[in-house]
Amino acid sequence: MTAAGPLLLTALLACTAYTAAAARLRRRGDAWPWWRQACCWLAGTVFVAGAALPWQSWLPPFTAHMAAHLAAGMAAPLPAVLARPVTLALRALPVPGRRALLAVLHSRPAAVLAFPPVAAALDIGGLWLLYRAPLPPQTHHSPWLYVHLFAAGWLFTFAVLAVDPLRRRAGLALRAGTLLAAAAAHAVLAKTLWAAGPPGTGYAPADLRRAAPLMYYGGDVVEIALAVALACQWYRAQGRALARRSLPARRHGPGRGGVPGPVPPERTPRPLRPSDHRPRHQEASP
Amino acid sequence: MTYRRAVAGGALLGIGLAAFVDEAVFHQLLHWHHFYDRSTLGAGLVSDGVLHAGSWLATVAGLFLYADLRRRGGPPRPAWWAGVCLGAGGFQLFDGLVDHKLLRVHQIRYGVDVTPYDWAWNAAALLLLTAGLLLWRRARRTDRSRHRGRMAGLRG
Repeated sequence: MTAAGPLLLTALLACTAYTAAAARLRRRGDAWPWWRQACCWLAGTVFVAGAALPWQSWLPPFTAHMAAHLAAGMAAPLPAVLARPVTLALRALPVPGRRALLAVLHSRPAAVLAFPPVAAALDIGGLWLLYRAPLPPQTHHSPWLYVHLFAAGWLFTFAVLAVDPLRRRAGLALRAGTLLAAAAAHAVLAKTLWAAGPPGTGYAPADLRRAAPLMYYGGDVVEIALAVALACQWYRAQGRALARRSLPARRHGPGRGGVPGPVPPERTPRPLRPSDHRPRHQEASP
Repeated sequence: MTYRRAVAGGALLGIGLAAFVDEAVFHQLLHWHHFYDRSTLGAGLVSDGVLHAGSWLATVAGLFLYADLRRRGGPPRPAWWAGVCLGAGGFQLFDGLVDHKLLRVHQIRYGVDVTPYDWAWNAAALLLLTAGLLLWRRARRTDRSRHRGRMAGLRG
């Protein structure tokens, strides 16, 4: 692991730059939640743990690769996206830098890359190539592979969560559907690895049979976390819509002459008793 | 139409619950079928993968829908449970007919005559579906009687 030093240094530099940018915002009087900063350091730590720890001395070779793959390519990108590095950069950079970053963000290639199906195809397609194309046998243990896995995972998570400003945000249905398709492809690939390892490698069957379930269930954990993040977005948006709709409801009660005003849709008060859910037979009209 | 939303949310949670019970009981506790079955077709694997990923995501979606309905004054209970039964029964029937029999992803159990297991599996699915349909009918009636005989804008 000769590249462990540079990887560790790069991750440390990135997290330090993030912290400095957040500190600059706070000095200016802007708020930047502490938990986003924690997310950034968590992502850096998990990535370094995946890519630079000597997994091979503890686990059989392919299982070791899979543990590093899970940490660097799946577990690290989620907090790295939740930390909203792009938003922070847009706020903390001086004006010329901000303009340059916006130009990149609003360019056509960026829009294509961040379109959820494209990002998913790149991420999952890369994985299929990695495990199903005849690559040189040392590929699975190269530290630069983990850098690539992190980048691809970050792009996918960035496209599905869409928390940073882009010119066009894909709708929730498209993002959720993309997550479902990617999760299914990931599960199928993990299952086939149980039966046959990557071509041109001579991993032992026992090794494959530890690595495949690790990829399958480890992938589940990260995908559920992603789904919860998406569902939280939906829940908050619904809450804001409800609050907006219930404001006029309080202002326009039954108007003059007892004529009911315009009724806002839904938003009913919480029932006082369970019996409020049931039909009241004594009130049934003929 | 709160009650339609409640049926949909319940169905999502029902799919997730059925898949979770299947995975926990038959795969991990009883070891009746395995992680991977060598006789599997490609189409079967894909169906299995979609079902597996979909069941987890459906669970998350169902729980958040429930939270949202609670915020709006609680889901009408028969409608919610109708959804849960329909979702769980539908998942079981799909797994029992399409995955086990059509695509032959895996069988319920190996080394024994599988016929009684198949019958029990699909009969349980039909029972759940029937219960779901009965509850749905009740939920629709409740919904109609609530909409009848009350002024617009007031919850009877």
